[in-house]
Amino acid sequence: MTEFAYLCAHSLSEAIALLNEPGVRSRVLAGGTDLINQFRGGEVDCDRVVDVAHVPELRVIGTNGRVTIGAAVTHTEIIESTDLQESGSLLVKACRQIGSPQIRNIATIGGNVINAAACADTLPALVCLGAEAIVTTAGGEQRLPVSDLVTGVNRTSLPQGGLVRAFTFDLPTAVCRTSFMRIGRRRAMSIARLSVATMGALDAEGAISTIRIVPGAAFARFRRVDAVEEMLIGRRPTPGLLAGAGACMADQFLAESGGRWSAPYKRQAIAVLTERALTEVLDS
Amino acid sequence: MKIAFTLNGEPVELEAPASVTLLHLLREYLGLTGAKPGCEIGECGACSVILDGRVVNSCQLLAPQVLGREVITIEGLRASDGGPSDLQRAFVEFGAVQCGYCTPGMVVAAQAFLDRNPAPTRGEIREAIAGNLCRCTGYQQIVDAIEATAARRRSTKGGRGR
Repeated sequence: MTEFAYLCAHSLSEAIALLNEPGVRSRVLAGGTDLINQFRGGEVDCDRVVDVAHVPELRVIGTNGRVTIGAAVTHTEIIESTDLQESGSLLVKACRQIGSPQIRNIATIGGNVINAAACADTLPALVCLGAEAIVTTAGGEQRLPVSDLVTGVNRTSLPQGGLVRAFTFDLPTAVCRTSFMRIGRRRAMSIARLSVATMGALDAEGAISTIRIVPGAAFARFRRVDAVEEMLIGRRPTPGLLAGAGACMADQFLAESGGRWSAPYKRQAIAVLTERALTEVLDS
Repeated sequence: MKIAFTLNGEPVELEAPASVTLLHLLREYLGLTGAKPGCEIGECGACSVILDGRVVNSCQLLAPQVLGREVITIEGLRASDGGPSDLQRAFVEFGAVQCGYCTPGMVVAAQAFLDRNPAPTRGEIREAIAGNLCRCTGYQQIVDAIEATAARRRSTKGGRGR
């Protein structure tokens, strides 16, 4: 690996100051499970890494009124948080699918988002939950929907010298059910070939009152699929309707992602995955 | 840079470049070759060590990330008489070792897991070692060894048998 210096930031203001020091090319290090592989592959180069894993402002988990999760919280900490098991269960389900115990013990939610892999497991869940990233820069803080922060595969709109401090989202209503489904080559240590994060609820008459569906490793960006949601809202979740929603998702996928080598497989797989996810969430 | 941390219960302090991984610090600077370089991209678990009570891949940590923290390697796992621990003896007893390359990582992962979950199901054991690849045994004997160790520790009323 190339040589670089290491500095550990002890506060948010110190981290921002180090990241914005003129003439020094700094990289944020949180868990490092992606970054160190990229160093080894010669994909990134910098003068120093700024370790933010112990910055207190990035280590919080709060569920009072609104859920807030610091960017340096590890996947294991999310999975083991009793508060999040209730209020952020979709995210907990997604984090359980990531890598291995070794990876989950070190890798952070902020790293998973900012690395912005097409197969990132937290991203469909966060976008489905309507999460915002709280981005800190030298000029102050701004909130950005996660769906706008991640602009493409390994691409984000994070400003130079900026840092994601935390993610925040509204508590899903009690009647909402959630599902995170994914296909990989094996259950552990595989990257998602496809994933679908879903949340939904039925009203007193058994019609669909809430539905959000966000696939992963399918579209160029992580987003809710309006066409699928619109055909579901207000209707009863019959098997025929949910199969139709799967077919609609496949059409959307083909229209946007076109004839990539994996399209013949993914077209069928995403239809079935969508149908199964909707059935799990909407089955009364 | 100066890197100081606790290694197998003893304080260590040494000079190494910031870009060295914990795996190479252990092997090349400290002479502890129990943690193995396998894939070196975090897929195989051969380099597993315990960091502050959690199993981690030492190939995916920069050495300075363990500053002030506690690292336990396979060399730090032993019975009180200095011989193999109950878990290590069970690996031998159940035939959980063939070529042996994955074994230090497997034992380390299993130790960290049993410390947190003394009464695991077989499924939980399989999940706990999902990040450790073995190309020889087919895993059954490894799961058997971990399961038997957990049962024996429970029957000795919390005795850890190390």
